Amino acid sequence: MKAKMSLFLEDSKPILRKLLKTLQLDFNYVSILASDTFGTSYRVTINGVDVKDSMWNERGFVVRVHNGINYSEFSFNELNKENIDDIISKITTTLNLQKDIIRNNLVVNEYPLIHEEPIKRSFIGEVKIHPDEINVKEKLKKMSVMLEKAKKVSNELVDFKISYTENEISKLYISGEKELEQAYIFSEGYLFPTVRRGDKTKDNFKGHSGLKAVELLDEMEASIVTVIKDAIELLDSEPIIPGEYEIICSPEITGLIVHEAFGHGVEMDMFVKDRAKAVNYIGKYVASPLITMHDGGIAAKDVSSYMFDDEGTLATDTVIIKAGILETGMSDLLSAMKLGTVPTGNGKRSSFERKAYTRMTNTFFTPGENTLEEMISSLKYGFLLEGMESGMEDPKNWGIQCMLKVGREIKDGHFTGKVVSPVILTGYVPDLLSSISMISKDFELFGCGACGKGYKEYVKVSDGGPYIKAKARLG
Amino acid sequence: MINKVISLLEINKKISGYKIYETNTESVELFFIKKSLDMDRAKVVSHLMLTVYVDFEEENAHFRGSSSSEIHPTMTEEAILRTIERLSFSASFVKNEVYPLPSKEGNNPKIVISNLNEKPLSEWIPEITEAIYKEDIYDKGGINSAELFLNKNTTRIVNSKGIDVSYSNYDGTVEFITTWKEKEEEIELYRNVDFSSFNPEQLHMEIANMISQCKDKALAKPTPILDKIPILLTGAPVKEFFLYYYDQASAISAYEKESTLKVGDNVQGENIIGDKLSITLDPQLNNSTFSVPYDDDGFPLSKIELYKDGILKRNFGSVRYCHYLNIEPTGEICNIIISGGSKLKSELKQTPYLELIAFSDFQMNPVTGYFAGEIRLGYYYDGNSIISVTGGSISGNIKDVHSNMYLSKELQQDNDFVGPETILLNGASIAGCTE
Repeated sequence: MKAKMSLFLEDSKPILRKLLKTLQLDFNYVSILASDTFGTSYRVTINGVDVKDSMWNERGFVVRVHNGINYSEFSFNELNKENIDDIISKITTTLNLQKDIIRNNLVVNEYPLIHEEPIKRSFIGEVKIHPDEINVKEKLKKMSVMLEKAKKVSNELVDFKISYTENEISKLYISGEKELEQAYIFSEGYLFPTVRRGDKTKDNFKGHSGLKAVELLDEMEASIVTVIKDAIELLDSEPIIPGEYEIICSPEITGLIVHEAFGHGVEMDMFVKDRAKAVNYIGKYVASPLITMHDGGIAAKDVSSYMFDDEGTLATDTVIIKAGILETGMSDLLSAMKLGTVPTGNGKRSSFERKAYTRMTNTFFTPGENTLEEMISSLKYGFLLEGMESGMEDPKNWGIQCMLKVGREIKDGHFTGKVVSPVILTGYVPDLLSSISMISKDFELFGCGACGKGYKEYVKVSDGGPYIKAKARLG
Repeated sequence: MINKVISLLEINKKISGYKIYETNTESVELFFIKKSLDMDRAKVVSHLMLTVYVDFEEENAHFRGSSSSEIHPTMTEEAILRTIERLSFSASFVKNEVYPLPSKEGNNPKIVISNLNEKPLSEWIPEITEAIYKEDIYDKGGINSAELFLNKNTTRIVNSKGIDVSYSNYDGTVEFITTWKEKEEEIELYRNVDFSSFNPEQLHMEIANMISQCKDKALAKPTPILDKIPILLTGAPVKEFFLYYYDQASAISAYEKESTLKVGDNVQGENIIGDKLSITLDPQLNNSTFSVPYDDDGFPLSKIELYKDGILKRNFGSVRYCHYLNIEPTGEICNIIISGGSKLKSELKQTPYLELIAFSDFQMNPVTGYFAGEIRLGYYYDGNSIISVTGGSISGNIKDVHSNMYLSKELQQDNDFVGPETILLNGASIAGCTE
């Protein structure tokens, strides 16, 4: 089933064109991004049910203008035929007042005018089962059946949460030369068991996501028993003895490393700020020659796949690392202008209310030649790492922090059955990436959760790749 | 808009109740690289969140279902009616235990006044910018980049039981990256400061501290391998650490059985060697962006005692979850105040220690009590001298350390948190970097 372009955005086109033309009288460059994302979040737990808007919902507009020196933006969400003159007046008055205060008091960076080629294009995504095909009653019933299945798995289960969110994204971008529109659907679902034995409590989660809709519920159902059994296994886990170990990362952990260790470090707005160590490593080895890394809105089909970004730049497939050598970074439009490079379609906003920054899209290592079995057999002593919790970037100094759920001990090429949890993986990015010695043929992307810039500006991304064998410090 | 929505709600006869939460926000945003402004933004937005409640029976059991969705200001009357219909349909399948909605009764809570109301937001640009850059005076380091967000919010909460309350508040955030370069590579640290009133001295102090920490990190050695050394947490990680106690006392955690703590239990266990915890929640804490007179349901908030000497005095939470626990509601309160401990910071530093002040992202799991983080800056005292250290990580479980934990007498405020500047932990694990 095809996604549907927002009727609200379709109906708003004449008003937005009028807004654009009127603002062009005052400003040499004007663009407007209009967003209308609608989604519903369903949550069924042992103790209750919740149905509400998706956290990604938004409906509004952001205008970007060249103010004579650099760019200013105005975000708003009230616009109709009756109030358009008031809105135009509000935008020009507010931005001109700010401009006067700023020019009288601050030093300002200069940016040239954005040059755009004429283009008019539309993209409509598809899913197997459109959210409208199954009503809320049936979705909740399916989730309730999943909950009953979960309750039968173990009497050590004290809570089980099932969360499913479907999102219909519609965006319209217009400027002097461009008119772009796109509509697509992504969904995400989570299973969260909490188990208890005595005073020891453990939690776990399994995420599912993709350019999918209601079909995701079937995928989630298939994971129920495993996610609870894995949580119970954690009740018998031990703390890890801190140290350097040989590790095998599951595709989910590979994705976390790709994202945190290197992805944030090649966001080129960091180059502009002189915050990225990577700028000194273009054309140099930064990883094992086995490693090739991609990012892009069209590099893969997952939750961050789109035709154009939030600045009206068409999405690309960027090769970041090729055979261990850093080729380039990814960039938003204004950073590319500042650096004299070509924008890669990575200008993303947390919502129409926020600034566009350089952000990752679908970021991954490409598969290799080994099997997982070969990798396990090759390990004298170490751990298979599974279960992503979180990570944090360090683009300037290339430190890495990955919080992981579990490490499975491997001795002389075999699992011992011992499980350590939780695990924190830390180290120096080039050391970690250079130590990669085997890569599996597998490939999987994960689009759960949200990626922040520091501690804010959350956007959807996917990341992943194959199993990788490396060396790292675990604690 | 609210009146229009209420009149349309009255058409739908399946609805048993409603809540409307409306916010109007104006903001000014500035983005600096070094000392130059790279972009400015402004925002004027209005959000109205509608929650619809439907009471129903199934197999002789009574339920109160709810469903919520935003009513956009650009919605037509027909679109609003469709949303109301969708919400009432959804709510009729949401099988939650019956609970009351807050009603009109209640005290008039205190409202915290912000000095940001003295002039329009854009007129604060020169003063706040000057405050951000006042301490940026060194050749070897300073502010790499900074972002300022300044919001003026007005909130109105209306429900079908007669609640109709409103208030205005301000929130500001300065996010900044500081750098420092000695002989080796330049290093950086990240910090964001939230405020609801403008206090230039607060920004001066925070930024001076971060520049100083950057300088120390630039000179730092790799964290050594250390076994059984007392660990001091100082500054921002202390706030994250204490989230465990907040979560354990919440009514929703108790109802969902994520917390097993009962009123009268000592959260620190039976044999406490160190300081005992006393915690209050104050919804009207000065200079917190979370200070509000009412919670999201329109319930009036006042200060409560949560723990006294480690003992849980009461749970806290919304009207719904307090009803489920059969306790008096407190409303959802965000600001947490931890009393100071028995020792001065200097007294906590008499023997060898590892003091950790900056992490990549220090995290506490409030359900399991596990905490961990990669060390970006610490200070190691071996009994003779103090050196700055970086790298490696800390991990542990709060249940293994809080019976023998000491809190400094000196207090810090970090937005919605007031608590000890430093805490001393015994029993956490350090993964060092050097052999």
